[in-house]
Amino acid sequence: MISLQHITKVYRNGVTALVDVDVEIEKGEFVFIVGPSGSGKSTLVRLILKEEEPTKGEVYVAGKHLNKYSLWKVPHLRRNIGTVFQDFKLLTDKTAFENVAFALEVIGKPKHVIDQRVPEALDYVGLGEKLNSYPDELSGGEQQRVSIARACVNRPLVLLADEPTGNLDPSTSVDIMRLLDKVNRIGTTVLMATHDQAIVDAMRKRVIELDKGHVVRDQARGVYS
Amino acid sequence: MRRFDYYFRETAAGIRRNGIVAFAAMSTAFVALFLLGLALLLRSELNLVIYRYTRDVEVAAYLTDPVRLDTVSALTKKLDALPAVASVSYETKAEACQRFKAIFASQPVFTENVSCDVIPASLRIHLSDTSLFNQVTTALGCSIQQRSDGSKGLVCTEPGVDTVADYSDLLSRLTAISRVLSIGVASVSIVMLGSAIALIANTLRMGMFARRREIGIMRLVGATNWRIRVPFLIEGLVESMLGAVASILALFLVKILFFDQLRYKIGFIPLIGNRDVMGVAPWILVASALVAIVAGTIGMRRFLDV
Repeated sequence: MISLQHITKVYRNGVTALVDVDVEIEKGEFVFIVGPSGSGKSTLVRLILKEEEPTKGEVYVAGKHLNKYSLWKVPHLRRNIGTVFQDFKLLTDKTAFENVAFALEVIGKPKHVIDQRVPEALDYVGLGEKLNSYPDELSGGEQQRVSIARACVNRPLVLLADEPTGNLDPSTSVDIMRLLDKVNRIGTTVLMATHDQAIVDAMRKRVIELDKGHVVRDQARGVYS
Repeated sequence: MRRFDYYFRETAAGIRRNGIVAFAAMSTAFVALFLLGLALLLRSELNLVIYRYTRDVEVAAYLTDPVRLDTVSALTKKLDALPAVASVSYETKAEACQRFKAIFASQPVFTENVSCDVIPASLRIHLSDTSLFNQVTTALGCSIQQRSDGSKGLVCTEPGVDTVADYSDLLSRLTAISRVLSIGVASVSIVMLGSAIALIANTLRMGMFARRREIGIMRLVGATNWRIRVPFLIEGLVESMLGAVASILALFLVKILFFDQLRYKIGFIPLIGNRDVMGVAPWILVASALVAIVAGTIGMRRFLDV
């Protein structure tokens, strides 16, 4: 599903983010990317979204060779990739329903599809009762659920989660992980960048550890360190 | 349908949010387009005057009564042979009379008291080079002489030709005035169009900045660049189009308050009418669309990258 071959990324300011990274992720896998801040986790995520170009190496996502992917097609690539972030990225002037609907609206989905899929998605993440709540009326965990519903509403092949539990307390984090696991079980490839040791240790999924841009460990059913 | 609904809502929200800046952009577009329209109107006014009085010919050879058709064809042939002459056409007494009546249509004093008999037929001569007027006078044997009524003028020896009138001086003077006025007003309007573009680009940029979170999310979920940009482009278009509509109305006002007032006072100058203003309107709309497109391109350049 995702294939990074000999990726090196050097930013224009001279910072080296990744050095000769080789990663293969199969369809349906659940993978943690771990490592300290500045180890290159976010750069990896940005390369997969084609927000950055690799300095060297090839990137393949869902069978597409991103190095040769033209810029005007990038939006279509991103429709196959759901994204979840630490800061939720919800629009505060829109309700939970509207936030999720927005993702479908801006890619031109018709109203009847929106009216069907949005409640489904919110129900799936356990917010079926809070369709009309605004983000500031929801807890942090609930807001992250809305953002997961938004990421999944268009049924993506890949879910990229960049520190999704970074702003949440431990018990809420566990709930979010259960939800991501549920998303993974329906066949979505999940790639999660984190430095939450407890979660990685508890899940026992594949762990890829980065340090100063190098892959220092790639272990099936691993722990944080 | 949903798509249009979406674009409409986004545009309306954008203009509301930008309030004062959007108003500044609109009024600058208004002034710029008004001046552009004024330049175009002045040009058509002067063209109208030039055409009415000279019918775009530089030289008229007035013929003596009674006019013989074989003389006309002989003279035409002779004049056509001159290198300075581009074309020659014959205006009968009846045609000349009609033109006279049209010029003085609002001055019955003239049309009622002047008999068509005294209005001469003429050969209207279009020169290829106005400085070679002498070729015509020489060919027709004309020279400046004291006339019987005491005035000085060109008297011609060529049979059938009474006198020759040279409009080229008047024509070049009118054209010069027309050019100076149009260029002056047009260059002011170009400067104004430039500031209209800058202001509209600025409102778009402010709008994009105010909505950068939304735009960020739209990119993440795979909205196309056009989906993101079109509401802003429409916003710019609406702003400049509102300016255009206001300027067209203002031009009609100028026509009513200025030209229509003159129409009753000095009847012998042809004045532009509603039709001329209508003729300028499409150009104003085209200019306003161009302003919006250029403003959109400049305003969104920074946000174009994926």
